[in-house]
Amino acid sequence: MTATEDRELRRAVHELLQDVPPSPAPVEEIVRRGKGIRLRRTWAVVGALGLAGIVAVTTLALAGGRHQASPATVPVGPVAPGGVFAQGVVDGHPWQLAVQDIADPGYLCQPAIVLNGTDADPVFPDPGNLAAVALSPSLPGIGFGFIQVPAAVSQVIVNGQANAQVVTVAACGFRYHVAGFAYSLAQAVRITVANPPPGWPTVLTLPQVSGRLPYGPSMQQTAGLWVNAYAAGAEEEPGTLDSQAVIGPDWIIQIQFGTGGDCYAFSATGSAGTNHMGACGPVSTPTGPETIMALPLASPSDPATGLTGYAVQVSPATFGLQATLSNGSSELATPCVVDGRVYAVLVVRAPVRLSRLTWLNAAGRVIASTTALPQYGYVQFQP
Amino acid sequence: MSEPRDELAAVPDIITTDDGEDFSAFAVSRWPGLVRLAYGLTGDRWMAEDIAQTALARAYVAWRRVSRADDPDAYLRRILVNASNRRFRRRRVSEQSGDLPERAVEGPAELVSERAALLGALHQLPPRQRAVVVLRYWEDLTDAQIAATLGCSPGTVRSQLSRALAKLRVDPALGESDHA
Repeated sequence: MTATEDRELRRAVHELLQDVPPSPAPVEEIVRRGKGIRLRRTWAVVGALGLAGIVAVTTLALAGGRHQASPATVPVGPVAPGGVFAQGVVDGHPWQLAVQDIADPGYLCQPAIVLNGTDADPVFPDPGNLAAVALSPSLPGIGFGFIQVPAAVSQVIVNGQANAQVVTVAACGFRYHVAGFAYSLAQAVRITVANPPPGWPTVLTLPQVSGRLPYGPSMQQTAGLWVNAYAAGAEEEPGTLDSQAVIGPDWIIQIQFGTGGDCYAFSATGSAGTNHMGACGPVSTPTGPETIMALPLASPSDPATGLTGYAVQVSPATFGLQATLSNGSSELATPCVVDGRVYAVLVVRAPVRLSRLTWLNAAGRVIASTTALPQYGYVQFQP
Repeated sequence: MSEPRDELAAVPDIITTDDGEDFSAFAVSRWPGLVRLAYGLTGDRWMAEDIAQTALARAYVAWRRVSRADDPDAYLRRILVNASNRRFRRRRVSEQSGDLPERAVEGPAELVSERAALLGALHQLPPRQRAVVVLRYWEDLTDAQIAATLGCSPGTVRSQLSRALAKLRVDPALGESDHA
């Protein structure tokens, strides 16, 4: 670089940054955050000394048949770094709720609430969202919830007992005011909003989720799938973010990514006409497990006409998803991009069954492989 | 590079009222510079203020030691650059995130074009190369000072700067606006 170029770059950088008008220094906010850091350290020390005690107490509660999941047990600062807005330990398992960007690298930012960095609930900046999720079987009997409130609300009360702190977090250039908590699935959850703004109800009921096992065609399957509700007066769900036909023309599978989850609308045309169906699964995060959805396009129980689709939200490193079939043959599904997320879809016709899925990178090397495949509903797999 | 949190966690600090007043004055005086440095590193106004807050909050926790350090600003810069790098790793910031409203540059049309081009070009650089450029051309730090901030050797600083400048030199947007 010449001296002139050097001077020019220095001038340009100074012009760029000198003209940035910072807001007044938020000293009180900074001090609050500093105190929050110190408090977290204190909790870390207490946690190291008292974890055994906490586990013992929760074990006793379980043994007594009255499982009381504690709400957020570790305070986070009023403006949380890293998007974390609630965290704690339940049954010896640490949990954490955060707002994060879940778009794959290279695509437009997509904010979502994530539980322990995995199952995501896409969110929008407007307050009013109220949602819950269960993670059976890894955390049986435990639910996790959050509420998005207006900026003026600083606190919500869960079941009249414990306070859940409202924390401001940022993702994708927007701010979210959220409170999160853990709770026992055995009881209904009532949320009281302290000093609600006009148009907001004082008491809200968390949507119910089920963590029952085993799953079956007639049983609600909600592990990892957020159930959203909306407070009165709040804006409605913005709706489908995108949809795209991924298979056709005798059958079609569409992905609708939104606050309902990764929802697939699918249909197949046969001699009896066209069947329209739909199914939703958890939204995978870039670092979390991938969700393998089985979609019964046409009577999967009928070996003569059965047609089952498989849809997987894969990582961007996946060049192809190879299906090994029960007749010894294999098929390669090429991923397609829908709203910044990458999906691979394939269809298997009865009596042939899907035996194995293998993730391949651009060099044709195996990234991951699994034989744990769903016959209906979904399973989650960490490549 | 070691995390500032580990350094700061080593000794408990107790902040007295006098210390608190000192810290407030320190925070107010350093705030604009920190926000601008963070803006150069992130290209995002809101994130820049958030990272500046994080850096000052960590300085608050260790204020007794920060206030007595030979160069508190060097300490603060290091915390800020670390916080910025961690943010990038977490967010997996996309190349298209330039669509965010915070990235808008305000001012007369010609300046807006020039600054947006520079901001875009900086954003194309990997975080460490971007940090080297901003610390060199905004903070006017030496190789040794940049190395101390980033926790690497001066040789690494020189090679990172060389690569960054090579990229900026061929950036088509900067060529159009006659920068670099």
